[in-house]
Amino acid sequence: MARSTTSFGLQATPKHPVSLTVNGDEHDLLIEPRKTLLAVLRDTIGLTGTKEGCSTGDCGACTVIVDGKAVTSCMVLGVTASGKEITTIEGLASDGELHPIQQAFIDTGGYQCGFCTPGFIMASKALVDENPDRTEEEFRHALGGNICRCTGYTKILEAVLQAAEEIRTIS
Amino acid sequence: MSEYSVVGQKLPRVDAVEKVTGAAQYGADVHPAGMLYGKIVRSKHAHANILSIDTSEAEKLPGVRAIITQDDVPSGRRVFATDKVLYLGEPLAAVAATDPDIAEEAAELIKIEYEVLPVVQDVIESIKSSAPRLHGDATKDGPNRRDISAKIKKLADQVDSNSDEIRKLETELEKHTDEVYYNISAESHTEAGDVEKGFAESDVVVEDTYFIPRVHQTYMEPHVSVASADSSGKITVWASTQGPFAIRSGIAGTLGIPLTQINVIGTTMGGGFGGRFGVIITHVPAVLLSQKSGRPVRVQMTREEEFLDGRPAPGCVIKLKTGATKDGHILARQALAFWDSGSVSGASIGSTIRVRGVYKIPNIKVDAYGVHTNKSGTAAYRAPGAPQAIFAGESQLDDIAEQIGMDPVKFRLMNMREEGDAVPAGGSEPKVGYKETLEAVADAAGWWDREADENQGWGVAVGDWTNGCGPGGVYVSVHEDGSARIFHGSMDITGTDTAITQIIAEILTIPYENVTIRRGDTDSAPYSTGSGGSVVTFTMGNTAKLAAEDARRRILELASERLNTNEDNLELRDGAVHVITADPPKSISLGELAAYSLSTTGGPIVGKGSFARQPSTPALAAQIAKVEVDPDTGRTRVLKLVASQDVGFAINPMAVEGQIEGGTVQGYAWAMMEEMQYGENGNINPGFVDYRVPTSADLPTVESVIVEVPAPNGPYGAKGVGEPPITPTLATMANAVNDAIGVRITELPIKPEKIVDALKNNGHEA
Ligand code: FES
Ligand code: FES
Repeated sequence: MARSTTSFGLQATPKHPVSLTVNGDEHDLLIEPRKTLLAVLRDTIGLTGTKEGCSTGDCGACTVIVDGKAVTSCMVLGVTASGKEITTIEGLASDGELHPIQQAFIDTGGYQCGFCTPGFIMASKALVDENPDRTEEEFRHALGGNICRCTGYTKILEAVLQAAEEIRTIS
Repeated sequence: MSEYSVVGQKLPRVDAVEKVTGAAQYGADVHPAGMLYGKIVRSKHAHANILSIDTSEAEKLPGVRAIITQDDVPSGRRVFATDKVLYLGEPLAAVAATDPDIAEEAAELIKIEYEVLPVVQDVIESIKSSAPRLHGDATKDGPNRRDISAKIKKLADQVDSNSDEIRKLETELEKHTDEVYYNISAESHTEAGDVEKGFAESDVVVEDTYFIPRVHQTYMEPHVSVASADSSGKITVWASTQGPFAIRSGIAGTLGIPLTQINVIGTTMGGGFGGRFGVIITHVPAVLLSQKSGRPVRVQMTREEEFLDGRPAPGCVIKLKTGATKDGHILARQALAFWDSGSVSGASIGSTIRVRGVYKIPNIKVDAYGVHTNKSGTAAYRAPGAPQAIFAGESQLDDIAEQIGMDPVKFRLMNMREEGDAVPAGGSEPKVGYKETLEAVADAAGWWDREADENQGWGVAVGDWTNGCGPGGVYVSVHEDGSARIFHGSMDITGTDTAITQIIAEILTIPYENVTIRRGDTDSAPYSTGSGGSVVTFTMGNTAKLAAEDARRRILELASERLNTNEDNLELRDGAVHVITADPPKSISLGELAAYSLSTTGGPIVGKGSFARQPSTPALAAQIAKVEVDPDTGRTRVLKLVASQDVGFAINPMAVEGQIEGGTVQGYAWAMMEEMQYGENGNINPGFVDYRVPTSADLPTVESVIVEVPAPNGPYGAKGVGEPPITPTLATMANAVNDAIGVRITELPIKPEKIVDALKNNGHEA
């Protein structure tokens, strides 16, 4: 009962060397095999922008981008991410400029408490990078793995559509 | 055009950048050096005697630094169960260790011996004499017994206690032994007029029983706190809470520690919706573990623990009866409600009176009981109690409208109270935009020329709620660069910091960007009420106004000194004080005045606002849904969802729309999908796979319509916004489904299987 938020219930075992590239920085770490990527990002590296809402892969709050794909980092063991390129919410803005998706969430009021927001922004980024031409209906379904309890999704969708539009016009 | 330049504008929120970059610090992001990880040991049974708790194995696990049970609570106040547990997941002990996985392993190693007892989860079963008792007999009389006993008491003053009349009544009382209710935690009774007479005069009387499930607020950030007790005894708690000051007094009271020895730092809150005021859920265990280990300790719940030991919204069963004339006048309404308050008292039973809605109902009677079951206790959830009562009330209104052949919107409009009308069992009606709000949603949704294909239907409902009000304090300082800084102690809840900032910028006539806001902890900030009950904009908005006006007084005083003219000749405009009559124009900027103030006898520009109470004004939410039901699968698709609300005045329309949209979707979810389910041994769906909350894939865009009928005491006329939008949606959905397929569902949530079953009973062949 009350399964751990950070492990898969595995027993403590010797730590393994792991190299991760997170937001462009290389980290050589020694981590227990039972630690999730989420736990590594938050507890070991100290990047707490990625959130933990369920630990069971069902809410999307922990979404990060691993080698270009959005993944729920609570469902990935840290050791299996070795050698991969990871982008978290902290790595999205560049040179003090917010990413268009971040700006769109601000402009439309696409967040309230903000707890789901890092996950939504990362999930949206992966979707928009992959194909910014989705319709609202398609985005609604594609974002179905992320839960927001505050907004009712209307303004989140506005944000994603605004960002997709902007990215379409720049590219 | 608005007469204001900053309030009433859709401005980005003050916390925008930190929220979209991951910089905002939520509870679990706090990590003081040397921090340990706490884990609560929970009951594995829903009802059991505790025979023993053995911590010896856990103590031996390397990395374990502290283990606590009720023996470690010096005040004796119940934090952990000792002799008996009343629900699955009830806390029995807690562990702190150097790693979260070690803490969890240690928790598993604590051996607890139980003697399992019979369980009761259903309120209707729990009130019977055959039910297991949670807290002794705890009996109360039902409505008939109460009425008869009252009659006997009245008569006893007039006649001999052996009189025939009294004996007849006593025999009558005997007949109602089934109305001795057990496991009752609380009761509430309200009456106005004479319902029996009202029903007798009615042409149509409808009666039904409504079942509303227990649902979880499911704020996305689970409960968390970090506590640090230093060697002097000073305790610092980083708490994700709606009310840091309430947590401070709660910890002090529970542990018998002086208030001033506790500092609560409210962290950014990942949603609350009323469910984030609890003191012993994580805060007290974290403090006790820190005291025992001498290290900072974080106690963070998992989502599963949230479902087992959070404080969700109570479910209830409401028997409701309504009578009306055939030309559409509601004459009487009577309710008997049983609220599932779980193992402790506290369900919002008083909200049952909300079955009266915003209608002129001359005769009303409400009897409500809180009933114990083997579940965790309950707490507020967005307009606590109102969605449940309004679901029953507004569902039944549609049934009456149908029976007398009247349009549901017209029927409601015709019965709505107007300014000055008596409120059944409660005062008289202020000016509220009841009709305006309902008309606005009807117009926006296209109600008057609505069309529906086969299996499509439209539903309407309204819900009312009045915001709370509480004490608050705000300081505002004006600096030499002309900027202003706000200091206060209330938690931001969905943009309230932004509203406060807008109000101060408006009054000081400076750009919104030049005003910043900072929250203090309970050691530094002025007292502030909790951020719940839609109080913040009303309370803190008024407080902010007072502070800004106080600052403006000092500004004009300084300007009058500096410009050598009477204050009557001065005007604060565009961030400067102008001499009204001067030609050529003469003015001095706020920055210059702030610089000048530093060398004056009166000193810097500091405005103070402090406020506690003003009567608040009800708000109305009105909603219309269009749905399509697949009669074969029972699936309901929402085609349109329109929500209007009388908000008094929208200080930030973007934030207000967000509240309306979010609250409406929570109401939708309560109607259609959410339900905490309980089996023989407690909650059986403690996770998002089995407890489904809506995602973006479940819904269309929610269209929000803002109606502004100002509240006399609200800042700029604003009234509470956060709670009303959840109140009508449960009934809106049920009414739409009824319109689509002619089936009245009285038991939520309206899952596909219920629709299929109901249609089968009506003769539909799948
Ligand atoms: S925390 Fe990973 S999906 Fe919820
Ligand atoms: S903004 Fe609060 S959960 Fe999405």
